[in-house]
Amino acid sequence: MNTLRLLTAAVTVITALSSQAGAAEPVKIGSSLGLTGYAAMVDRAWRDGLEVAAEVLNEQGGLLGRKIEVLVEDNHSLPQDAVVGYRKLISSDQVDLFNSGCVSAGNFAAAAFVMQAKRPMYLCSILTKRDQEQAWAFSFLAPPRFEMESRYRYLKERTNIRKIGLLHDPTPYALLMKGIGEELAKSFGLEVVSVESYKPDDSDMTVQLGRINAAGGGAIVKIGQGGSTVTAAKNIRQLGLDKMLLLASNDDGAVFLEAGKVLGERLLYVAPPVQLPKQLQPGPTKDAVDAFLTHWNRKYPDRDPTTGARAWDSMMVLAKAAEIAKSVDGTALRDATEKVPPYQGAYAAFNFSRDQHVGITENPFLIGTVVDNELVIAK
Amino acid sequence: MPSTIEILQSLVNGVGVGLIYGLVGIGFCVIYNASGIVNFAQGVFVMLGGMFCQVLMSQLGLPIILAIAITVPLVALAGMAMELAIVRPMLHRGATLFAIILATLAAQIMIERITLLGFGDRPRTFPDFTPGGPLRVGEVAVGYQLFWILGCGALLVVALWLFFNRTRTGRALRACSQNREAAQLLGIPVARMMLVAFALSAGLGAIAGVLVTPTQYTAYNVGTPFGVSGFIAAIIGGFGRAGGALAGGLLLGVLQALAIVALGAGFKNVAALSVLLVVLMLFPNGLFAGFSLGARVHSK
Repeated sequence: MNTLRLLTAAVTVITALSSQAGAAEPVKIGSSLGLTGYAAMVDRAWRDGLEVAAEVLNEQGGLLGRKIEVLVEDNHSLPQDAVVGYRKLISSDQVDLFNSGCVSAGNFAAAAFVMQAKRPMYLCSILTKRDQEQAWAFSFLAPPRFEMESRYRYLKERTNIRKIGLLHDPTPYALLMKGIGEELAKSFGLEVVSVESYKPDDSDMTVQLGRINAAGGGAIVKIGQGGSTVTAAKNIRQLGLDKMLLLASNDDGAVFLEAGKVLGERLLYVAPPVQLPKQLQPGPTKDAVDAFLTHWNRKYPDRDPTTGARAWDSMMVLAKAAEIAKSVDGTALRDATEKVPPYQGAYAAFNFSRDQHVGITENPFLIGTVVDNELVIAK
Repeated sequence: MPSTIEILQSLVNGVGVGLIYGLVGIGFCVIYNASGIVNFAQGVFVMLGGMFCQVLMSQLGLPIILAIAITVPLVALAGMAMELAIVRPMLHRGATLFAIILATLAAQIMIERITLLGFGDRPRTFPDFTPGGPLRVGEVAVGYQLFWILGCGALLVVALWLFFNRTRTGRALRACSQNREAAQLLGIPVARMMLVAFALSAGLGAIAGVLVTPTQYTAYNVGTPFGVSGFIAAIIGGFGRAGGALAGGLLLGVLQALAIVALGAGFKNVAALSVLLVVLMLFPNGLFAGFSLGARVHSK
């Protein structure tokens, strides 16, 4: 009888311990990122933003009492490697959800089987085009229209330039933005006189820039990120195009500082408020920016906060979704993300709903420039 | 239809980029001649050249001349380290040339990652050697840096010619390229020659990197495109022929620029690789090795 009691007690203790261990299982967030290759700069910042947010959330008790663990797979900015990484994160690591980087082609390629696995995807990139896959994906990227509108509005309201050239890279996001740019120009009284493409690793773009100049373009609207903006700035100067403006896509501040050394205030770029924090007026946006920068600057005092802020916002939205769902089950999280009330993040305000899986619905962008080696709002 | 100005402008820029490809191509040839190895890490020497120079200028505040004077030997040392740490041990263990070539590819990835960890991922650049410009020739703009690229390229070609023809070490390297066993029997220290070849090749890559960075940017991952283009240049020129590699680089740079004018940037490499294909079919040993009548050889 004593033996039976002892066994019963042992089984009870083991069961209790194992259920506690189960409760302590971390929430696994898979992230497919281009840590090398053309998207490296943005995706490394995305990873760092995720990790800063995870640390802060973990200090506050994690998600529903469970610690957050971010599992990263480098996709080398290649879609085929992204597929391999996503499959590994699902089958081996058994992640609960995805929060992936800006290699849109990689996210597109994996979307079908991520959907089948019923894991929500929070994305730095644009959404896939298929409706079924979109149901599982949430984009934290501003619609490409906003970037184009901000630049076009600046040209219309602050300059006399009416003829422009588009210079784009071949990524899906850039092609989408190029199409929107061509479509929108007329409504801002602008004429696109030349559309030129480049590859992100091109060491020279003088041919394309020369063509835009020859076609009468007074400004180059560059669509694409990375060091190519520096190359474009240098090439503009090499060609002696002394009045040509370069309006760059939203990017890491390090790129703008280098390009700004070459072109000065002729370099203009799309910037969210978090990239120009010193000039923000008091209000909810500034509060959200400051809340993020407190943690970001502690860890990365010399790094541009732009992409990290977006990743941070995505994690804060996730935390709110988990609170609503009271679960991190894939379907529950997906449904709850659609119910997260409007959230003012450090990068932008996010408004997800059942029909709205692109969270940024209001244009958050300012136009910045470089003065005295500092990023400032353009006059 | 592209205008004459457009074509002339693209030719000018193509020559500048092509010369850089040519210097990288010569780097391939120097190592290949001394060892039979194709060093796929050649592109990273270009990256290291630009990177070290920028860091020395921005972090230590060194003037550009001093930064270059330190950078080139530093990168040459990196080349020697690669030979000592990777190539030589593999050769001693009887590794096949294919295995060693693969090892150089792995070394490239490793050096890129180390650079990424050490210097971060942000693009870096430094100003033209001569501020101002461009020089206008009619409607064609020529940046001052292009003159530096052309001038230094010409000087290097002369210096390399003198080195290979007028110095004992250069002649020893040429002997190694013709017959390594015979060279060894004649008392030439072949192993040391390989070390010299790696140092020379890395130094050339560094100079190319220092010259080209003011016209664009450098980052941990810029080496690969230069490596690939330099490799193509070396093949076009006849692998192992330094002069041929230089000419091949110039041809490639000009062709790429013209391809962008005629077909758009997306077809730049398609055009370049198509040219490579034609060259390899008609001139299997490169443009400067003469036209090969392969069919006639087979029929004999």
